[in-house]
Amino acid sequence: MEKNFILAGFGGQGILLAGTILANAFMLDGKNVTWYPCYGAEMRGGTVNCEVVVSDTEVSSVHKQDTDFALVLNQQSFDRFVQRVKTGGAIIANSTLVAEKRLRDDISYFFAPMTKIANELGSSKITNVVSLGVLSSVCKILSKDALKNGIEKVLGTKKKELIPLNFKALEAGSEAIVNV
Amino acid sequence: MKDCEKVLIKGNYAIAQAAVNAGCQCYFGYPITPQTEIGEYLSGKMQELGRGYVCAESELAAINMVMGAVSTGVKAMTSSSSCAVALMQEALSYAASDELPVVLVNVMRTGPGLGYIYPAQGDYNQAVYGGGNGDYKVIVLAPSTVQECIDLTYRAFYLAQKYRNPTILLADGLLGQMMEPASFGKYPYPEIDTSAWALSGAKGRDARAIYSCARDEKAQIQHIKDLFKKFEVIKENETSFEEINTEDADIILTAFGSMARNIKAAIKVLRKNGIKAGYFRPITLSPFPSQRINELAKQGKDFIVVEMNMGQMYKDVKYAINGQSDIALVNRPCGEWLSVEEIVDSVKKVMEKNYATSL
Amino acid sequence: MQQVFSIPKSFKEGFKFTFCPGCDHGIAMRLVAEVIDELGIRENIISSTAIGCSVFIYDFLNIDCVEAPHGRALASATGVKRAQPDKVVFTYSGDGDFASIGLAESMNVALRGESITSFMLNNTTYGMTGGQLGPTTTMGQKTTTSPMGRNREYYGYPIKMAEHMALCDGTAFSARVALDSVPHINQAKAAIKRAFEVQLEGLGFGFVEILSSCPTNWHMTPEQAHERIKTEMTEIFPLGIFKDVKNNN
Repeated sequence: MEKNFILAGFGGQGILLAGTILANAFMLDGKNVTWYPCYGAEMRGGTVNCEVVVSDTEVSSVHKQDTDFALVLNQQSFDRFVQRVKTGGAIIANSTLVAEKRLRDDISYFFAPMTKIANELGSSKITNVVSLGVLSSVCKILSKDALKNGIEKVLGTKKKELIPLNFKALEAGSEAIVNV
Repeated sequence: MKDCEKVLIKGNYAIAQAAVNAGCQCYFGYPITPQTEIGEYLSGKMQELGRGYVCAESELAAINMVMGAVSTGVKAMTSSSSCAVALMQEALSYAASDELPVVLVNVMRTGPGLGYIYPAQGDYNQAVYGGGNGDYKVIVLAPSTVQECIDLTYRAFYLAQKYRNPTILLADGLLGQMMEPASFGKYPYPEIDTSAWALSGAKGRDARAIYSCARDEKAQIQHIKDLFKKFEVIKENETSFEEINTEDADIILTAFGSMARNIKAAIKVLRKNGIKAGYFRPITLSPFPSQRINELAKQGKDFIVVEMNMGQMYKDVKYAINGQSDIALVNRPCGEWLSVEEIVDSVKKVMEKNYATSL
Repeated sequence: MQQVFSIPKSFKEGFKFTFCPGCDHGIAMRLVAEVIDELGIRENIISSTAIGCSVFIYDFLNIDCVEAPHGRALASATGVKRAQPDKVVFTYSGDGDFASIGLAESMNVALRGESITSFMLNNTTYGMTGGQLGPTTTMGQKTTTSPMGRNREYYGYPIKMAEHMALCDGTAFSARVALDSVPHINQAKAAIKRAFEVQLEGLGFGFVEILSSCPTNWHMTPEQAHERIKTEMTEIFPLGIFKDVKNNN
């Protein structure tokens, strides 16, 4: 098994952090994982993205052309990465900021109002973790418990007080698709 | 943190912490993307530990500070990236001639010139052949995973001191920025006694001078010969590479550094397509595993070199093959790493064309 | 019989200077050696040597030395000192190494207040390569690369290093001395000693600019060369102590 994920949004949406939580979740689940950020001309301003590759065996390749899952938090990222989803793959989009369009019939589309849910929980800053919750509901190899471990690992002791809110965001995200 | 515990860590931080674990007493550096995290991390860490740290005024100064520090027998290093490593070439030539155990980390970006910050592998020649003057050789180690960033940083410090030879860890921007689970373990090498040559003040012994040239012609000739004799020993003892599925292979894909990850994946796809492909990765770029490549070529195995430059390692592979089998180059000068799909397609095309041209 | 004169212990046994006749390097090195003897630091000292005539210090002084590439002596010395804070570290270079190719290193060492000591011989020319224009070449001075004399249009102005060093906050001591006469030589020795002392006291960077002659490339006799230092050079490069943290505080 080897799956890859692209996480994308605009600067400030916590994309790299979400990717780090995701990568830690897989690592703590005993899987091999590689995380790498967008790197190059895009580093300053505009969209931010990172890729996470998870595998039962050694993670060999990087910079894959196609992705199994694209988690996109803004329109620009949706437009760009919907083309890179593999046949049979899925795009999971933040419908607060992304128009619901389904132009391909060989992939699955999931829309959830991630920013709206985050705002209802008290902070748009937590959109990234809401999005991970949504991802966990559509991605079989990713469990909520693993993500909780990932959150605990990343927030650690320094930001311990934020853990309950992040767990709540994860829960809310995981229930978002059914509620839509 | 337990020694063996796996942590998700960026290549740059892995290198920096590995240097600390290896007992690096001094770090000197100047910021440049994509390796700045190394200096950022060590600025705090070295002060915490009471070790040496200087925000150097330039890369020229940084590597010369390293030379000063290691001349006293301690471990020290600097890190930089391509165009700034170019500034250090004079010092590497001196350090090789002085036999100073300088450790230099190069997290490559592209070139020529400023080269912006796209990842690339264009410093193969700069590292292996050097941009400094005269006949000299440095040891070059090329990691391909974050775990290897740690393992080879340890090895770099060890080899530099063991052979009193400058040693380069040649990583790339992708590896520097990438996070993977890795464990540090303990520095696995014995400490090298430097007291026989290091400067410590001429107390109870003759004064020592470390300098790069002999002013007597015969002595200078002998000095250069001795340096090369030493490198033969390094070649004999320290050449390393990774090899998979080469035994029954008709064609062997070879790459160094993080690019090798994609050929590892590509050979699996090629084998599913009925092409008997093998994998060969030089870990030491200098000394280069020429002998093993030559043996494989002698068995009639063809080679495809995959690299993110215009064919720098290609020349060394070709030299090693020495006309015994065919060779082709699959490359891109910089930017997005060649994907597994691109490599597979290119290999098929090369085979169809019967190696008539490189791509 | 009382011995009134001897060769400093910090010189190598049986050494012979290989400098040109009348060159002041011999005097400057002797002063450094005497001071090292007097401070009792020979066995605890490491020098990063420069390129140019000054590089030969490792032939004459009985101390540990590491050669740095041209202009990088102060970077090398920084590395030595940061690795071995308990050692006494010094550089001995010409004006070309210190004030031209190594100016960035010199200024930054002074600004960081590295606990090292540096001596710069100012002889207004590149001696080893045969008398070319350097950073300290005086206005109007003819050299092989300023055949019509130094002028503003092509060459700009000479640098006054002791004053510049004194302006850096990390500098504990900066002085300019000359080697043209016995009184000046005695002053020079006192300054060299003080430049080491500020390091030993952990006060910061110690610097001495030493006006010295290069009769060969000046095309002068040693006497004429010393006369040039006394009259022309001290006019342009005034002697004195420009900074001593002890006095300033």
